[in-house]
Amino acid sequence: MKYLQYHWKSRTCAVLLISVVISVLLISLELTDWAAQINQQGYSHGGEGGEGNKVPSFLRYILPFVKELVLIGVPMLLTLLFLKISRMLKRSPNR
Amino acid sequence: MSDWKQDLHKTRYVMDVLLLISFMLVSAPQATGLTGHEWLSVLFIVPFAVHLLLHWDWIKQSAKRFIQHISAKERFSLVWNYLLYVMMLLATVSGFLVSVALLPTLNIELHIQDFWSKIHHDSATLIMPIIGVHLALHWRWIVNLTKRMRMKGAKV
Ligand code: HEM
Ligand code: HEM
Repeated sequence: MKYLQYHWKSRTCAVLLISVVISVLLISLELTDWAAQINQQGYSHGGEGGEGNKVPSFLRYILPFVKELVLIGVPMLLTLLFLKISRMLKRSPNR
Repeated sequence: MSDWKQDLHKTRYVMDVLLLISFMLVSAPQATGLTGHEWLSVLFIVPFAVHLLLHWDWIKQSAKRFIQHISAKERFSLVWNYLLYVMMLLATVSGFLVSVALLPTLNIELHIQDFWSKIHHDSATLIMPIIGVHLALHWRWIVNLTKRMRMKGAKV
């Protein structure tokens, strides 16, 4: 814990303060035309009510995590592959 | 197991594991229920802030390093970290702006805009691949530390 406790009060304040300032800037996105356009179009996605879908209920506790593992894991593996290939290319002599 | 607190990298490792687990819980509102999701998200600010505190020196030097000669990978990682940070803020802020449990409980009236619902959904979904790449960029560290953590009783 000693690393966490080092100057933690001032640093936490700094991190939170900066984050709040940026967050307020982000909230001002709602004043843009872009936001107005999306509000006008309306937005809805699946799930509301949920009566219609016939997935067994235990899947509700599994599928979200499967989705996360795929959405995190696939880009991670692709990046690792890319890094590996670029390292191999750098090492190969005739280039 | 008691010595991890004495070692900066091991401290980071333990905190990073907690960060990843809590992130995965926060990102599954269908499993936790919306009320659970909103309270967990607020709690999630703690491991998130801890992650930043444990990289304080990196953050402080990052602006300077950007204009210095660093490898393409490091430069990418630098930009990526900032992207991740802004996305995380965007997801958190938009989350508050579409709150259906937490803010009403605190008696804060809110008119939910479709814009913020879409932003919350999109930013939260985008964060996942961003974190995937973030983890890949630190892969060697993750592998090394996993080995070190598993050496029982080894001196730090
Ligand atoms: C679930 C979310 C995250 C996980 C699991 C995660 C994991 C990791 C890991 C394993 C490392 C390398 C090991 C270390 O030094 O601790 C790392 C480094 C780092 N992370 Fe994250 N991270 C996450 C989110 C974030 C976010 C939101 C930011 C926002 C700025 C961030 C900024 C950094 C920085 C600045 C470093 C050090 C970079 C470097 O040394 O090149 N991370 N993270
Ligand atoms: C890092 C922070 C957060 C992440 C990663 C996150 C992630 C998510 C995800 C993945 C969903 C499902 C979206 C969908 O399928 O449409 C969701 C929905 C939701 N989140 Fe968050 N969330 C975060 C913070 C918050 C906070 C702080 C609140 C409120 C206090 C919140 C309130 C909600 C609500 C009300 C929904 C349902 C709205 C809808 O379905 O459109 N979230 N969040």
